[in-house]
Amino acid sequence: MAEQKVELFARRLDHGIQKAVHSNSAAGTEKRYNVLGTDYSAPDDLRRLAGQIRQHSIEYLDTYLEQAEQSLKRQGAHVHFAVTAEDACRAVSDILKKAGAKKVVKSKSMISEEIYLNDHLGTMGIESVETDLGEYIIQIDGDHPSHIVKPIIHKNRRDIAKSFEREGLGDYNDDPETITRRARVFMRDKYLQADAGITGANFVSAESGRLVLVTNEGNSRFCLAAPKIHIALVGIEKVIPSDADLAVLLNLLGRSATGQQLTVYTEFINGPARTDRPSGPQEMHVIFVDNQRSQILASDCREILRCIRCGACLNVCPVYRQASGHAYRSVYPGPLGAVLSPLLAGKKFKELADLPKASSLCGACNEVCPVDIPIPDLLLRLRNRGHQEHAPSPGTPPMGAFAKLASSPLIWRFAMKSNKVMNLVPLEKLPLPYLQPWLKTRTLPAWRGGEFRSWMKSRHKK
Amino acid sequence: MQSANRPTDRTVQLMATCLCDAFFDDVARATVEVLEHVGCEVEFPENQTCCGQPAFNCGDWSASREVMRHTARVFDGSKPVIVPSGSCAAMLFHGAPLEFEKEKDLPTIQKLANRTWELADFLVNGLGIEKWSGRFPARIAFHRACHTRGTGSAEAALKLLESIEGLEVVPFGEAEQCCGFGGTFSVSFPHVSSSMGCLKLEHLTEMNPDFIVSGDMSCLMHLSGLAERGEKPVKTLHFAQILQTALHRHG
Amino acid sequence: MSTAREQIFSSVRAALTPLPERTPRPVFSKDVAEPKWLAAETDSLALFQKRAEATGTKCFTDMEACASWLRAQAVRVVYIPPPLTRLVALCSEFCEVTSEYSRARVNEIDAAFTPSAGAIAESGSIILSDGSTPDRLAALAPWHHIALVSRAEIHRTIADALAAMPADPNLIWVTGPSKTADVEGILIQGVHGPGAQACLIL
Ligand code: SF4
Repeated sequence: MAEQKVELFARRLDHGIQKAVHSNSAAGTEKRYNVLGTDYSAPDDLRRLAGQIRQHSIEYLDTYLEQAEQSLKRQGAHVHFAVTAEDACRAVSDILKKAGAKKVVKSKSMISEEIYLNDHLGTMGIESVETDLGEYIIQIDGDHPSHIVKPIIHKNRRDIAKSFEREGLGDYNDDPETITRRARVFMRDKYLQADAGITGANFVSAESGRLVLVTNEGNSRFCLAAPKIHIALVGIEKVIPSDADLAVLLNLLGRSATGQQLTVYTEFINGPARTDRPSGPQEMHVIFVDNQRSQILASDCREILRCIRCGACLNVCPVYRQASGHAYRSVYPGPLGAVLSPLLAGKKFKELADLPKASSLCGACNEVCPVDIPIPDLLLRLRNRGHQEHAPSPGTPPMGAFAKLASSPLIWRFAMKSNKVMNLVPLEKLPLPYLQPWLKTRTLPAWRGGEFRSWMKSRHKK
Repeated sequence: MQSANRPTDRTVQLMATCLCDAFFDDVARATVEVLEHVGCEVEFPENQTCCGQPAFNCGDWSASREVMRHTARVFDGSKPVIVPSGSCAAMLFHGAPLEFEKEKDLPTIQKLANRTWELADFLVNGLGIEKWSGRFPARIAFHRACHTRGTGSAEAALKLLESIEGLEVVPFGEAEQCCGFGGTFSVSFPHVSSSMGCLKLEHLTEMNPDFIVSGDMSCLMHLSGLAERGEKPVKTLHFAQILQTALHRHG
Repeated sequence: MSTAREQIFSSVRAALTPLPERTPRPVFSKDVAEPKWLAAETDSLALFQKRAEATGTKCFTDMEACASWLRAQAVRVVYIPPPLTRLVALCSEFCEVTSEYSRARVNEIDAAFTPSAGAIAESGSIILSDGSTPDRLAALAPWHHIALVSRAEIHRTIADALAAMPADPNLIWVTGPSKTADVEGILIQGVHGPGAQACLIL
């Protein structure tokens, strides 16, 4: 029998990696839980409020996006729009080409992963260096992030030390501190030589036009200190009404992502350098990227656009902990990815329609989500869509016969009673494709079909 | 999430669930005895089958709706519908309205949803029972079934269990984690599902409890099936069975 | 007007028009996300110091203590913007003092004082703005960074700070030293920015 792809990946996953992903994720879940518990008596109320702020933001995206555009322009930023991933890549390289820029430093941005920006810049002969430590290691390894906040959760220090040695960053040394110092020295020169800095944005305040960026390493700040051009790639859904909403969102983002009240650096960007404020890039470009988001907004899964990319749902997810991020074959893994990735795939939905199935629907993701996204409901809606579009789903039993049986009480009762015969059959020998995967690792209890019904009846006679 | 004004009459309809129908008649019986002990008259609509959750979770919503329509007909009326399973209860009050969101008969389904109670939730939050009499000298680990997240069920069950003389509820790590069952997930993702279950078992047995207890037979069936295959069998009980047994050991 | 812009706006509108109703903008009070322990903290300065220390920012209230810390750290070149003459005198005793932040010396200057645009007591954050910091690099590149915080500019809460943001092109809240846990989840300080973050409260 064909296997589910996530299942297959998980089964073949290196045991050490699985253990590392599990313990790192579990530690993240615990930190989040502790800090929210220490700080709030009703964190769920706060999550619901944040959810409403984000739901409101996306349901008035027409208004806020336009307002954000105006505010940004007022401050002297150039605003661009890109419909597709290719358009977004081209917008970036056009700006760079026009300025004659050859070297770029990048701070971590999921949307740049989503549009494969580095590959594109590479083909244009532009050097683009990822400056976040984890992302840099991903880049030199030609690998992919396996977590949206902790991109190298699947690597250990020995892997990293080998990569550094290979790249000429010193002799083999797997001490995390040494690794970090070497990256510091290497990046220094890159920052100072770069013509442009590319960032994402965690939020854009429509009212003020402020771009908000959060990091712990300080790399985004560096990308905006030395280079002369700043390009921000922003998903259109990142817009929020005003700065005041950040009081709720920032307070939840840091705590949910890393158990911090605030990340180390919370940066508010309000336009390019001015004559009275000469430090920083002289040119600022904001590229608003759609890449299927407006289609998602039109779908019955629009709630996923609330996401603030904290990674809490990945950390808590038991399937993610078993399968790790690469199992999801897309930029966004875990519960978030299981919803978002098939939707971002657009016409290629079917290729990723198996992802929403990779869930026991336990709902832990919804319970930790700072913007209260009903992820299990969205997974279910996507399963229904997959079924309607006849997406392949190995291992899923057909349900037509079950529905007939469960809607015909007489046959049902007969089936229940006669099921007892199963107790006499060696189950392992039965050619039932959906029973064997169960029996391989578990036993079944004894059939007692109809016993309760008879008991109920006998009591009523008394 | 659930309606605030669910009925609390003491004449109730029992939805026994297909698992109890097929395997766990003892749990269904315990449910009846527990309800009767608190003065309920329990009706058992004979034509009941299943809540339709397997098809719902598989994405075959039209098949699931067929089953749910049948269920709504069987459980017609205005009495509380009591389900000794957080999962099947959630199917009635949350899953069904979701799969009917674009259907004309949504109001019928919503009506049933608004009458549905998970057993512990009904006892504590519906009938206002705070304490359970009787004795049950044992140490138990209580697994909060996933589909009771966001409802009052787990707290309700714990409240009653902890009030029983001699009973001790032991803590364990990663309590928010799923047992790995997930319905058809357990057969289409057997490796992931079993690994999740084994981890859950490790945590649940950390303190060597006498029993693993839950409000959902599906979780318990998965866990005990895994433990037996792994040759480290565990004893499991539905919380209604503890309430029932405690009563028998009374004085 | 770019067609991409129109295309995006028209598909966003097309997506939203069929909604039977739209989620209203929630009304919430400014203090809704304040931690429950905040109400008991009446002294903003004391709270700032407590929170700053908890997140790894050293707090000094007098110049001598700050200077002797830098001396103990074996700092070689410190940038001190004018007019902090007393500090210059103190630091000159053990290291080179420069009053100009030159990018040519980015890797030599291993400590820098820069004026802040205030602080946030609730989170122990230092606020840096382009108006207060002459060169963004000065507050970022040296291993030791000491922000000069004026007592009068300490905001009590995050919400207060958000409501009073200056219109500088760049504003940054710094909550502790630069850090990463990318390698095996092990916390390392001083990735790109300062490995030792401090503030001198004046
Ligand atoms: S879906 Fe929610 S929990 Fe998951 S990354 Fe997004 S905001 Fe965080």
